[in-house]
Amino acid sequence: MLDLLHEIEREFAGHPEEEVSEAERLAVVETRRSFRRMLQALALATVLLLFFSSERLVTWVNGFEVGSVQDAIVSVSTDWHSLMADAGFTMPAETVRAELDELHGADWAELRRRIERERARTRDGVRFLRGAVPDSKS
Amino acid sequence: MLFPTIEFGIFFLVVFAASWAVRDMPELRKLFLLGASYFFYGWWDWRFLGLLFLSTLINYLAGLALERTEHVGFRKFIVGVAVVAGLSILGFFKYYGFFLTSLSVLLESVGLSRDLPFMQVILPVGISFFTFQGISYVVDIYRGHVRAERSLTNVMLYISFFPQLVAGPIVRAADFLPQLHRPVRLTRAHIGVGVVLILSGLLKKMFVANYLATELVDPVFFDPTVVGALDLLIGVYGYAIQIYCDFSGYSDIAIGVAALLGYRFLENFDQPYRAASLQDFWRRWHISLSTWLRDYLYVPLGGNRHGEVKTYRNLFLTMFLGGIWHGAAWTFVFWGAFHGSMLAVERYARRQIEFFAPAETAPGGLMTALGNGAQHLVGIVWTFHLVCFAWIFFRADSFATAGSYLAGLVRWGETSQYVTPFLVWLIVIAMIFQFTPRHLGRWLAKGVQHLPAPLLGLLLGGGIWLIWAIAPEGVAPFIYFQF
Repeated sequence: MLDLLHEIEREFAGHPEEEVSEAERLAVVETRRSFRRMLQALALATVLLLFFSSERLVTWVNGFEVGSVQDAIVSVSTDWHSLMADAGFTMPAETVRAELDELHGADWAELRRRIERERARTRDGVRFLRGAVPDSKS
Repeated sequence: MLFPTIEFGIFFLVVFAASWAVRDMPELRKLFLLGASYFFYGWWDWRFLGLLFLSTLINYLAGLALERTEHVGFRKFIVGVAVVAGLSILGFFKYYGFFLTSLSVLLESVGLSRDLPFMQVILPVGISFFTFQGISYVVDIYRGHVRAERSLTNVMLYISFFPQLVAGPIVRAADFLPQLHRPVRLTRAHIGVGVVLILSGLLKKMFVANYLATELVDPVFFDPTVVGALDLLIGVYGYAIQIYCDFSGYSDIAIGVAALLGYRFLENFDQPYRAASLQDFWRRWHISLSTWLRDYLYVPLGGNRHGEVKTYRNLFLTMFLGGIWHGAAWTFVFWGAFHGSMLAVERYARRQIEFFAPAETAPGGLMTALGNGAQHLVGIVWTFHLVCFAWIFFRADSFATAGSYLAGLVRWGETSQYVTPFLVWLIVIAMIFQFTPRHLGRWLAKGVQHLPAPLLGLLLGGGIWLIWAIAPEGVAPFIYFQF
C-alpha cells in the first residue's frame, strides 16, 4: 500500500524542469485541500466519538489524579455521559457490546445450538417459500 | 503515551493541525515536530530526554567528522567510536542487570561467590530502536549512501520522530533525511494510506491482540503445568497471532500517522505467516529489523561471500545477536540461536535438494503444478510451526516455563479450559488475513482517498467507535515497548 506514496514522489520528481514550478504550485494547492479535508474529517470523527462513545471519556478522566481542575473535568464528563445516555446516543455501543458479549460467552454446546437454530430457520424459510408451511399470520 | 489512547488522540490532533498550519515555514515545522517528539518521549519519563539527545549528538558529530576527513583509517576509527558509544549506552541500560546476574550464577557454580555491584537500572523506552537508527546514520555516511547532515535539527528529528521513536519501524537515514529536504506534501494518497493503516492497526491491537492476550495467552503461559495439550497448542497459535497483531498493529499506526504528517516509512510486515520458508518469513517479519541486521551485521561479517561454512556461521551469528537485541534473557538468546541454526539448516537442505533434484525449468503439466502447490503448502505449515516453537521460548519467562509448556503438549487427556469458539474464531480470521491478496490494503486506500470530508469523518469516527465498542476495557502496553 505504501507504494502509493512512493508513486507520488516519483511522479513529482519525474517532471521536466520547466514543469516543476507548475507541479509545485499544484502540489501546494493539493496539500491545502487535503489538509482542510482531513481536518474536517478529524473534527467530525471527534464529535461522533464525543456523542456515541461518551463512556470512554468517563473511563479516561477517571484515571486522572485528584485535584480541583481534574475533579471539575470528571464532573463535566460524567454529566455529559449522562446526557448522552438519556438521549440514547450510547445505545448503539451497548447493543454492539451485548451482541459481542453473547458471542464471546458462548461455549461449543451453545454454538451447536445456535447453528441448529439457524439451520431450522433456513429449512422453515425454504419450506415456506415452497408453500409447505402455512403462513400463520394469513 | 500509547497510540490507542485519548491522550494520543488529542496530541495527534494538535500536532496535525499545527504542523500543517506552519507548512510554509519548513524550518519552523521541523522544530515544532521535534518539540512534539521530545514531548511525546518525555511523557513516559522526562529523565531520559537527555539520553536521547546525547545519543543523537554523538551520531551527529560523528557524521560531521566523517564528512570532513577522507583518511580511510580515521574514518573507520570515527565509525568505531560512534558505534561503540551507542552500543555501550544500550548495553548498560539493557544488559547490565542480565550480565551481572549471569556472572553471579556462573561464579556461584564454580564456588567463587562475590558481592557484585548490582543496581536497579530502568530501561529507557525505545532505546534499542533509536540506538540502531543512530548506528544506521553513521554507517550510511561512512558507506557514502547518505551525506552528513549539517542541521542538528534534522538529525534530532530523524532519530526522535515520534511515530517511530519507541517501537519502530527502524527508519533508515537514506530513506528519511531526503524527505526533510523536500517540500512536505499531503495528498489524497497520504490520507487514504494513513486512515486505512490507523484503523487496521487499532483493530489488530485493541481487538485481536488484547482479547488473545488476556483470555488465552497470559493464562496459558502463566502456568503451563495446569492446562492440557489442546489449550497449550491453541495458546501458542494465539500468541503467534497476538504478537503479530500487536507489533504490526503498532507499525501500521506509526506508518499511518507519519503519512498524515507527510512522511513515508517503509513497510514493516508483509503477511509473515504465509511464508513457505524461514528465509521467506524473515523477509516478511519486522522487515526494518531484518534488513538492518542484514546490512549492518550479516554483510559486514562476510555474508555469503566466503564459502558455505562461513555463510552458516554468519547466519547463525546474525540471528543470535538479533535474539539478544530483543531482550536481556536466555530465552531470547535461545530464540535467536534457534532461528539462526534453522536458517543455516534450511539453506543447506535447499542446496542439497537443488544439487540432487534440480527444479524443472520447462513449464510442467497439471501434476507438476499440483506437486509444487503441495510442496508450497507443506512449506507454509512447516515454517509456521517452526516459528511457533520458537515463540514458546520468546514468550516464556524462563526455560523452566518453556520446558513445562513443551512437556504439556503430550497431555491430550485433559479437558480444555480456554479454547472457546470466540478465541478460535479470532485466530482463524486473523490467519485468513495472512492469505488475502497482497494489494488489499492498497485497494482499500485507493477507495478511501477519494471520499469527501464528511464520509471520511464518518469512516474514521465510525471505525474508532466500533473498535472501542468491541475491544476489551483498558489498553495493554505493546509487546515491543520492552525491547
